[in-house]
Amino acid sequence: MQTPGEEALIERASRGDPTAFEELVLAYQSLAFRTAFVIAGDAADAEEAAQDGFVKAHRALGRFRPGEPFRPWLLAIVANEARNRRRARGRRAALVLRAEAEPRASGEDPEEAALGSERRERLLTAVEGLRDDDRDVLACRYFLDLSEEETAAALGIARGTVKSRTHRALSRLQEELR
Amino acid sequence: MTDLELELRDLAAHLDVPPAPHLLGVVLARVASRRRRRRGLIFAVAIGFAALAVAFAVPGSRASLLRFFHLGGATVTLVDSLPPLESRGSLGQPIPLGSAPFRLLLPSERRPQQVYAGDGGYWLRYPGLLLFELESGPGTEIIKKAALGKTDVEYVDVDGEPGIWIGGRHAVYLPGGKPRAAGHVLIWKHDRLTLRLEAAVGREQALGIARSVR
Repeated sequence: MQTPGEEALIERASRGDPTAFEELVLAYQSLAFRTAFVIAGDAADAEEAAQDGFVKAHRALGRFRPGEPFRPWLLAIVANEARNRRRARGRRAALVLRAEAEPRASGEDPEEAALGSERRERLLTAVEGLRDDDRDVLACRYFLDLSEEETAAALGIARGTVKSRTHRALSRLQEELR
Repeated sequence: MTDLELELRDLAAHLDVPPAPHLLGVVLARVASRRRRRRGLIFAVAIGFAALAVAFAVPGSRASLLRFFHLGGATVTLVDSLPPLESRGSLGQPIPLGSAPFRLLLPSERRPQQVYAGDGGYWLRYPGLLLFELESGPGTEIIKKAALGKTDVEYVDVDGEPGIWIGGRHAVYLPGGKPRAAGHVLIWKHDRLTLRLEAAVGREQALGIARSVR
């Protein structure tokens, strides 16, 4: 459920109030971009997908059911745009890890830092090696921190499917990392 | 949550995700463009029934809406001709700097020569520069009309906040006022405030001043 303030914003935006829609874009642009990025793996595709998602959401606001949660509704549109771009590209650009600060600078033990970094590299490689549908579920659940319901809405699948795919994907990761 | 799930959460914090780009300006421009196309379609149908009557009923008064830019408490429309304009009159009632109901933002922390309460907001006068600060609320919209092809209007980024640059002569309707002539203007949002900077400087210099406003 959205907050009462957000419900009023959505209602105003659906009646054509540009200021209300503007506030919704400002509130969700960062999450929309991040969602598109973890699915498409490419910044330019993610930017286009997020933009198109907002434009399509604006067009569909009249069909948005009052009281329904807005975030998964929007993310479903954005995620769909991101998947379309990934499909059109024919391959998914792999996510990469951020360059870490020097362990000495961060106060971390250098050996531990190196092990942690290596483990993360292996884990990310294993995630990127999964089938797209398994990987997308893990990305939504753990990279975007979406709930099962939100993941289901964003990916357009049943909540039970989210559970089974998550279980399957985690088992595959376990095997891969053994 | 299993160790593997915790590791995946930790991995999220280490992913190289680029900072989110500023989408607002482009999204609003695309939404406005779509709305214009839809209006165009509605107008085309309506014109089929009433074009002649309208054309003869209001000769010379047509200023068709061609494009609009929207930002917080400000809307800029591009029209094919400007209305008759008055030159600027008084800025309002002079007041001490600290007496506005909200903290007035200052460029480079410089005190203005004078502050005025007027046009529904606050004017800060500097040599060669006017800054107008307006708190968002019902009935506090700044409306601007610019002549198509004669004035540049574009969305800009002011330190991560959306803005609109109007390069050239245009008409400004401040809350409750008559249309006045204005020159180069930069409008941008800062939290609940809509700020409007008017000065005889170019786009980049205006953006530089705007970025110093705190």
